[in-house]
Amino acid sequence: MAAEAKLSHTAAMILQAISAGYVYGFSIMEMTGLPSGTVYPAMRRLERDDLIRSQWEKQSIADAEQRPPRKYYRLTADGKATLEASRKRYPLLERLISTEEAKSL
Amino acid sequence: MKPSEDRACRALQNGMVCAASYLVPADRRCEWRCEWKAELWHVRHALCGCGAFSWQAQCEVTSFCLGSLQDALCLRRQSRPAAKAAPRLSGAAGQCILRLGTLLAVCVVLARLLPGVQAENDPARFQVNPGVILIQTFASTDQFAPTISPALFRDWKSTRQRYFDEFAFYRTVGETAAWSARRAGQWRVTHASSNLFSLLGLALPFVPFPSDREGGLSAVIISHDSWRRDFAYDPDVAGRVIRVGDRSARIAGVMPYGMWRLPGEPDAWLLEPDAQLVKSSPRARGYLVAHLSPRGQAAMQGQCIWISVRASEDEDSEYYGVSFAGRLRGPWNIFGFALVLALLALPAVTSVTMGESNYSSHRPSLKRTLLRWAFLLAKFLLVAAIAYFASVDLAWWNSSNYSPVAEFAQLVWAFTICLFGFRWALADQRQRCPVCLRRVTHPARVGLASRTFLGWNGTEMMCMGGHTLLHVPSLPTSWFSGQRWMYLDTSWEFLFADSGAW
Repeated sequence: MAAEAKLSHTAAMILQAISAGYVYGFSIMEMTGLPSGTVYPAMRRLERDDLIRSQWEKQSIADAEQRPPRKYYRLTADGKATLEASRKRYPLLERLISTEEAKSL
Repeated sequence: MKPSEDRACRALQNGMVCAASYLVPADRRCEWRCEWKAELWHVRHALCGCGAFSWQAQCEVTSFCLGSLQDALCLRRQSRPAAKAAPRLSGAAGQCILRLGTLLAVCVVLARLLPGVQAENDPARFQVNPGVILIQTFASTDQFAPTISPALFRDWKSTRQRYFDEFAFYRTVGETAAWSARRAGQWRVTHASSNLFSLLGLALPFVPFPSDREGGLSAVIISHDSWRRDFAYDPDVAGRVIRVGDRSARIAGVMPYGMWRLPGEPDAWLLEPDAQLVKSSPRARGYLVAHLSPRGQAAMQGQCIWISVRASEDEDSEYYGVSFAGRLRGPWNIFGFALVLALLALPAVTSVTMGESNYSSHRPSLKRTLLRWAFLLAKFLLVAAIAYFASVDLAWWNSSNYSPVAEFAQLVWAFTICLFGFRWALADQRQRCPVCLRRVTHPARVGLASRTFLGWNGTEMMCMGGHTLLHVPSLPTSWFSGQRWMYLDTSWEFLFADSGAW
C-alpha cells in the first residue's frame, strides 16, 4: 500500500488509535467512540491492505490473568507511512487521540 | 446483585455473539467468534466489573453484542462475489409484492393510529340489544331525518302495544351551553328519555348522582369531542354542574369515542323524564327507538317492520322500523359488498382472461405455472387488504359518531380501489414473463400500421432474464388477436447478465 493512499477519516482514526497504543478492539472503540459494527470491519480492511497486523495473545499469559486471550493489533511499516500521510490530510487527528494519553493509562 | 437477571443477560449476549458468528463465512467463523468472545469478556469486565447489577451497563454490553451482528453482516456482504452482490431486481415479482406489502403496512399502521378508525373497528360498538329498532314515518324520503313527534311517543307509550314492549325518544336541538362563569358556546343537545341507553344496551361508565333526583338536576352526558374541545380532557369533569339552555345539569360522564351510532351528532345528551320531553313544541320532531316484543320480532320482514296506525276514521299513518343490526353494518360488511360489486364490474373495465398464446409449443413447467397463479392470487389478496384498510382510513379517520356519509365514503373508496387495483393486477400479470415473473421491458415498435394486411404490427417487449419475448398487436386481427409469448432457448442467455436472478 502506497504511503499516498487516501484513507477515510474513520480508518485514519483507527490507525491513529492503534499508533497511540490502543491495541485492542474494545479500547479502540472506547477511544474513537465508533461502534463495534464500524470498528471491526474497518480493521479487517486495514489488515487486508497490510496497514495493520493482528496477533493473538499467548494462551499462557491469558491463563495467568484468568481471562480469554485477546487479539491485539499493531501498525505495519506501510501503516505508519499511510498514517503520516493521513495526519497531513487530517491535522486534528493527533489532537483527537494523543499518544501521551494512551501511555498514561 | 440479581443473579437471575445477570445470568439471563449473559445468556442473551453470548447467544447474540454465537448467532452473529453463524453469519460469518465458515472459514473465518471460529476466529471471529473467539475475538468477539474475548472482547466481550473485557467489555463486561470494564462495564460490570464492580459486581453490582446495572441495567445501564448491561445495555451497553448488549449494544456491543449488537455490533457483532453488524460486523457479521458486513463480512457477509464483503465475502459475496460482485456479480451476485447486486442482482438486478427491477420489476421482479418479489419487489412487486414487497411494495404492495409496504403499502398495506402503511394503511394498517394508519388504521391503528387514527382514533375514528379504531372506534369503527371495535366490535363492541356494534353490540346493541337485539330487537331494538328505529321507527320513522313511511313518508319520509330521508331515512336519517327526525320525523316522530313527542306526542306520538307519549301516545304509543301510554297505550298497550302488541309489537313493542319499551320505547325511548330523543331529539336534537341547538342550545347555548355554559360550562363555567366565563365560557359558553353553542352545542347540539340531544334531549333523550332516561331509558335510552339502557334500551340500546350501551354499557356506559356513568356516575350516578342519586341526590340530583331530589334537587331537580338532570344528568348530562357530554360527547368525547366536547370533552376534548371544551374541557381539555379534564379527568374530573364528572360531577360538574353546567348550564344547558335555561336549566342546570350535572355531567354524569363522557360518551366513549365512537360509541354513539344513531342519527345525529350531538355534543351532549340530556336525560329527561318523559313528561319533560313531551312538553316541547308540537312541531318538534325526533327519533323513536323501540324494543320489539316476541310477536313484533316474529312480524319482522328481514331487517324492517311496517307499522300502520289508524289516525282517524278514514286515514292511516304508515311507519316503518329498521333493526339496528341492519343499520350498523360495520366496515367488514360494507367492504364485502364493495368487493362483490368490484368483482362483478371488473369484466367491464378489463379483460379478465390472460388472453395469450405461444408462438411455439413450449410450455412452462407446472411449478412455474403454479407460481405464476400464486403470484396473481397474492396480488389480488394484497390489493383487497389495501382496499379495506385504505377505505376505512379515508372514510373514518375523523368520525367519532355514526355517519352515513362515512359509510358511503367507505363503500365508494373500497369499490374504487378494488376495481382499479384488480385491473392493475391483471394488466401487470399480462406483462410478466411466465418463466421468471419479471415485467418485460424495452418496448420496440415492429411493423407498419399501413401494412396491417401484409404483416403484423405492434409492440415487442423483452424479458431481461432472456427467457421470453412478448408480442402485442396494436390492431387485433383475426389471425393475431391477443398477445403472444415467444420462449427463447438457452442460447440467448449469454446476452443477459442476470438471467438467473428473479
